[in-house]
Amino acid sequence: MAVEEIPQISPIIRHRTSHLGRAVPRREDRSALLGQSQYVADIRLPGMVEVAFVRSGEPHALIRSIDTSPAEQIEGVVKVVTAHDLDGVEQFPHFIEYNQPVDQFPLARDRVRYVGSPYAAVVAMDRYVAEDAVNLVAAATDFEPLPTVTTIDQALAEDAPLLYEGWPDNRLTTALIENPAVDRAFEEADHTFSETYTSQRQTGLPIETRGVVAALREGQLTVWTSNQSPHIARTTIALVLGVPEPEVRVIAPAMGGGFGPKCHVYPEEIVVPWLAMTLNRPVRWVEDRAEHLVSSVHARDQRHDVEIAYDDDGTIRGIRVHSIGNVGSGEIFMPGTAPTFVTGGSISGAYELPNIEIQTTCVVTNKTPSGAYRGFGIPEAALVRERIIDRVALLTGVDRVELRRRLVLREDQLPFRMPAGGIVDSGSHARSFERGLEMAEPLLTDARERYADDPDVRVGIGYANYVEPTAPTYHLTTGFWAGYDSATLRVDGDGKARVSLGLAAIGQGAETTAASVVAEALSLQPSDVTVVMGDTERSPYGLGAWGSRGAIVMSGSILMAADRLLEKARRIAAHMLEAGDEDIVQDVVLRDGFFFVEEDPDQRVGWPEVATAAWARTVDLPEGMEPGLESSGYYDPSDLEHTADEAGRLNAAATWANGTHIAIVSVRLSTGEIKIEDYVVVHDCGRMLHPGLVEGQVHGGVAQGIAGSLYEHLQYDSDTARPQFASFLEYLVPTCAEIPKLTLDHFESYAPHMPLGVKGAGEGGTIGGPAAITGAVSDALAEFGVFVTATPITPVTIRAALRPTGSGEAS
Amino acid sequence: MERQDHDSPSAQVDIEVTINGERFRNRVPARLLLSDFIRDVAGLTGTHVGCEHGVCGACTVIVDGDAARSCSLLAVQVDGCTIRTVEDLATDGGLCPMQQAFHENLALQCGFCTPGFLMTLESVDPQDFADADDLFALLSGHLCRCTGYQNIIKAVASVWNEAIEPHGGRFQS
Ligand code: FES
Ligand code: FES
Repeated sequence: MAVEEIPQISPIIRHRTSHLGRAVPRREDRSALLGQSQYVADIRLPGMVEVAFVRSGEPHALIRSIDTSPAEQIEGVVKVVTAHDLDGVEQFPHFIEYNQPVDQFPLARDRVRYVGSPYAAVVAMDRYVAEDAVNLVAAATDFEPLPTVTTIDQALAEDAPLLYEGWPDNRLTTALIENPAVDRAFEEADHTFSETYTSQRQTGLPIETRGVVAALREGQLTVWTSNQSPHIARTTIALVLGVPEPEVRVIAPAMGGGFGPKCHVYPEEIVVPWLAMTLNRPVRWVEDRAEHLVSSVHARDQRHDVEIAYDDDGTIRGIRVHSIGNVGSGEIFMPGTAPTFVTGGSISGAYELPNIEIQTTCVVTNKTPSGAYRGFGIPEAALVRERIIDRVALLTGVDRVELRRRLVLREDQLPFRMPAGGIVDSGSHARSFERGLEMAEPLLTDARERYADDPDVRVGIGYANYVEPTAPTYHLTTGFWAGYDSATLRVDGDGKARVSLGLAAIGQGAETTAASVVAEALSLQPSDVTVVMGDTERSPYGLGAWGSRGAIVMSGSILMAADRLLEKARRIAAHMLEAGDEDIVQDVVLRDGFFFVEEDPDQRVGWPEVATAAWARTVDLPEGMEPGLESSGYYDPSDLEHTADEAGRLNAAATWANGTHIAIVSVRLSTGEIKIEDYVVVHDCGRMLHPGLVEGQVHGGVAQGIAGSLYEHLQYDSDTARPQFASFLEYLVPTCAEIPKLTLDHFESYAPHMPLGVKGAGEGGTIGGPAAITGAVSDALAEFGVFVTATPITPVTIRAALRPTGSGEAS
Repeated sequence: MERQDHDSPSAQVDIEVTINGERFRNRVPARLLLSDFIRDVAGLTGTHVGCEHGVCGACTVIVDGDAARSCSLLAVQVDGCTIRTVEDLATDGGLCPMQQAFHENLALQCGFCTPGFLMTLESVDPQDFADADDLFALLSGHLCRCTGYQNIIKAVASVWNEAIEPHGGRFQS
């Protein structure tokens, strides 16, 4: 690949080949395939003891007393602690100004607000004994039950029981961005229509649960934790424990999936280290699945009250959306409010829908705190938007595809400022949609033919076009951190490079990509590059792996570090080539690992000579040059905004990927069974550093989108706030039998302002599912007047909607 | 097996198990799960635990030739048995054909589910699978959260299509 096709690689580099865009084998695979990767649960330290947490079985109650003595009698129990034993432990910080403050201590003090809330911990010689003791502590806890709040309506009721004393109501946050243009649109439009769309409670559900191991080693508190942001975890642990930050080391070892829930800093990440310090011995806690389902954050529990102003010709004049997030008890760091705001900001998606008024409310209830899950509010927004378009199509008789064609962004409109402030700098929105339609057409024909002779089956198709904010601001989410990440790059005396990244690896192949980018930037082979991630002691401060930011911030920081390093390497090389005067330094180039001057390519020095001069044979350095060959880059995406303007708008992401999802479904009328016959994705994440890894992200994301549309639901009893799930028998994760073979295509609209032209790819796959699938099921059942307004769509909701007395709304 | 008072949580039982060709003779608590025995006693942490209730398949090992969920068995139940775990698949440090196919087809991301899939696949004879639906039925006992199963199916097809060539490569996708 010629140099001009690789934007923002240092001009010193003269390329023959590129490691980017190629199917480089994943370096993570070997140890994983051999069963040798080390996940948190695999860590064993001499003298290590096990922790189990005592969790509230009450959704809302005062803790009158806890008698720990029966548990302490059990042989093998080392210690039992409650909130009042945690000397010197602070509450989690309040960083978000727009929220009501939630006072969260690592163990609940006098009151529990959800089933699963940890309020005591047992340390024992093994997990079995610890769990015996947990049962005794639970049995010896005296709760005074309080009235519960489960649903949004219950939380907002006039006489609602309050979760937090001192709050006027159960609103954790509320915001309205008024827009006079919307009021005008509603006055002038031919018609208005109101409808409510809902998305159910789900969770990211990595197959590896969370886990924490902590030990004091040479005076330093070392914490191994399955966390997507080890540096943020370290800062938080130091703050809450009151320990100097330099004395804390956080290691995120091999991770069995993240998907959002592991972005938060949890109580266990405080209590386990505190126990290790207090007992002065290694302590381990591994979450079990039943615990995970109530103690790791939930997501997507949202309702959207929508008003649409439209004209007879299908023109959508204005939209008012009130997005209400049910964020559970709110006792989580960072709080779970941001996804609902992101939903509001993402309503317009890949369409020109200018007049939108967004109101956002987050209510607290006696459910598990909610927080991050891949997609972070954007799949919910896509559901709302595509349902609005299908609804207007239905009301006006305009074809659904035609209406989308009118609205979808065209290249001549770019850069496009979305109503919520996002600046879509590039993309293939209209082209992706057309390509998707083209791919779906024969699949739809086939599906219709397959069922042509079956009067019990209807086939339908549904559409979604989205933009995905990638490398977004973290300030809205955390109220503290913002948007940069980092790389430290070193070339050792043997000419091999080592890069340490502020990111953490969560199983997506980031090490493989990082090695390719370093190889590209230094004209080395990927096999010459060692990658270090996920250890705060060995890598520079960074914000971690979330928000589809890895490829962008990694490339940016590596290229910055590489530029600095190359500048110095070139001066050393020039000196060694005896081309020491300044003019000639500028003529030294690097190709295939060798430095030379274009006119005289036979005279050359390689990385080993240059690096050896820098580290060891410093007598070979130009006079006065500082030894060493190491540099760092702290990359902060330049277009990214962290605070809103007066109109409430902000460009919340560094760049915007886009895509089209089209679902083809069949519905069996007699049983309500829904089958995804085909699923088409056209995906554009700018330049693809590794197409195979990008595809993997799309595959996994789509499976989660399908899961959220048809299967996964964290249901609570609305009278008692008790969870109706305790295992994978109630929380239905799709298997290979439920996920169809996907039909994929890609465009590569390079991001004009991003390093290497990349955009993020981590979340796009999840975004379109609920929107496309609700559309497809509605299409299949249109003759019965069914219009789906809620997920999950199940045989039960289908049968209810088809009943003659049914309202026709599947919800 | 030495019998003792199994009702007490502290009851201990002597067992003898062969794991990956190595003999283990241990006195273990009667309630110790096989998954914990393999991971904590035998120190073989390639067998992962994703649910501890028999659904996700991450803990799958081969007991006397058949795939079994080690989280849903007690160690005492495999007294006298021969067990194979993921650590036993590689030959002379090289990947076995299915491991190699997973690698080449990007059939793993985080890799947490992978040992379970590999052990189930190792336990069956491809000749017994008439079509892709049979394969889905076999693998539907395993959850993977990363891959959407696309490349796992591809990887298996790439190995099995050769194995079952006489039947005409039915897994080609
Ligand atoms: S851990 Fe055994 S099936 Fe999930
Ligand atoms: S590769 Fe991560 S769960 Fe399967």
